Amino acid sequence: MTNTKTTYQLPPQISFSQRLKNSLFATPFDFVLTLICAALFALLIYWFIDWAFLSSIWRAEDEPLCKEASGACWSVIDARHRIIFFGLFPFEEHWRSTLACAVMIATIVASCVPWFWTAIRLSALWLIGFSIFYILMHGGLFGLSVITPERWGGLALTIFIFAAVSIIGMPLSILLALGRRSKLPVIAKLFGLFIDFFRSLPLLTILFTAAVITPFVLPGWLQGDKLYRVIFGFALFFAAYQAENIRAGLQAIPPGQDEAGLTLGLKYWHRVARIQLPQAFRNSLPAIVNQFVITFKETSIVTIVGFFEILASGSAAFGTGKWTVHYIEVYVFIGAIYFIFVFSLSRYGAYLERKLRVGHG
Amino acid sequence: MVEKFDTENGMASGTPAVTMTAVNKWFDDFHVLKDINLQVDDGEKVVVCGPSGSGKSTLIRCICKLEDHQRGTINVLGTELNDKVANIDEIRREVGMVFQQFNLFPHMTVLENCTLALTLVRKKSRRKAEAIAMQFLEKVRIPEQAVKYPGELSGGQQQRVAIARSLCMNPKILLFDEPTSALDPEMISEVLDVMVALAEEGMTMVCVTHEMGFARRVADRVIFMDEGEIVEQNTPQEFFDNPINERTHLFLSQILQH
Repeated sequence: MTNTKTTYQLPPQISFSQRLKNSLFATPFDFVLTLICAALFALLIYWFIDWAFLSSIWRAEDEPLCKEASGACWSVIDARHRIIFFGLFPFEEHWRSTLACAVMIATIVASCVPWFWTAIRLSALWLIGFSIFYILMHGGLFGLSVITPERWGGLALTIFIFAAVSIIGMPLSILLALGRRSKLPVIAKLFGLFIDFFRSLPLLTILFTAAVITPFVLPGWLQGDKLYRVIFGFALFFAAYQAENIRAGLQAIPPGQDEAGLTLGLKYWHRVARIQLPQAFRNSLPAIVNQFVITFKETSIVTIVGFFEILASGSAAFGTGKWTVHYIEVYVFIGAIYFIFVFSLSRYGAYLERKLRVGHG
Repeated sequence: MVEKFDTENGMASGTPAVTMTAVNKWFDDFHVLKDINLQVDDGEKVVVCGPSGSGKSTLIRCICKLEDHQRGTINVLGTELNDKVANIDEIRREVGMVFQQFNLFPHMTVLENCTLALTLVRKKSRRKAEAIAMQFLEKVRIPEQAVKYPGELSGGQQQRVAIARSLCMNPKILLFDEPTSALDPEMISEVLDVMVALAEEGMTMVCVTHEMGFARRVADRVIFMDEGEIVEQNTPQEFFDNPINERTHLFLSQILQH
């Protein structure tokens, strides 16, 4: 079997410095170009570091120094960060909002861990996560004072809307995708119509309809709070788009996979859950993660129907008196918060892609 | 063993496992199966051959309802194959299928491929299912690959896993749809060896294949199909040595040329 005489040759090794030379300094022109680009890049980095850290003012009480300083005036963040994080939430209850945020982030992170990926564990996790979040934010139990959703705001509201839209929208999108692929033409057409209807409306229109118009149409007991109507409308929009991503993943699966399941006697839902969906998610993972990223950023649109999510709270933070000139610092700060969430999401997506590639060559 | 059968109407004389009576099927207006009458007996090994597009794959796909037939009746192990879900489930429990493209589930290990239906359909415990799966993986001589993913195996190994996966469900009839056609030449024999072993154990088999050596060695009967019809059927000996029909002649001369 084994041929002991075979000698294995390794490919020639190219050192890092050699590769650097080949790609950046191959010709005199390359050399000059590389130097110019490197200098410009270094200059930009220096400017930013100088503005943000070296020449900046940090503490709220140092605000008068800001006029002379050439760098950022982080005093505005020191003084007003509570508005950015908590919006109109009552000051003395801010600890509840902080804790609620932490719980929701922990729930999101936990549901990214493969151990939780069974229907029972995921449902249990989210039920507990949402319950704790709701009790902390809304109160009315365990001696906590009631704070209605109109007064929720800032980061807690952004995270709540994102999590709720995802958790309602994801199962819905799976149902929509499966429905659109139904063998029964009537069902397929109906689901297709539903998806295309919500995809062809701007998110703004849907949120506006949910917030303002539905109270005139729906009976009182069905209306619920404005926040929940907006979340539900948002979830429908999310689900319509995500359904198309999932459907793309389903369509990429060779028909033989389902046939193998059929001949083994597997029922429809078993074939869907164990054969089709795992492969569909793998096939369209980049698009699915992308939709989550877009959704996180689009939560800022709820401002228009009167909710103080983090971006609107930020505007409020520099909206008064001496802070009005420091809007750049506030936006950079909020930008950094968005970046942390979205970058983590996309890194997690990359990790999933590596993990799911197992055995696929 | 089936010794004698009436070559006119394809009715054999033993206990029937599969009976097809006047089966017709169309893909849109393409008449893919024309008045098929076929009986496969319990324990019988039937090889179906014919040029591509002759309807041979469609024929065996009808037996496990991967395709619907539009006219005629198909009876499998005493159960009529119609639109009743209970009947379809009953038949699929007893009929296994091996595909040309293996159709292993790429996101599961070899062992998980084998245990999936055992736990979900047969309701076996995980431990019991794994024991059964290992037993059949040993039978196809591949137990050491149990923890690997299908993508890490060669084509021949994948097809043997696919056979083991079917065997786990303890089928009474195994259908093979060109099981070696997607394989590199050096891997064909390892798959055929497994199929020969199964045949010797008395499994009822219907194989669509062009492996004429296998047909000679194992088949009780060879069926030649062309343009949706059963043109000729006979014992392998007679079929290969004294083909009657003109089209059979032509087909055999083409595939045995090299």
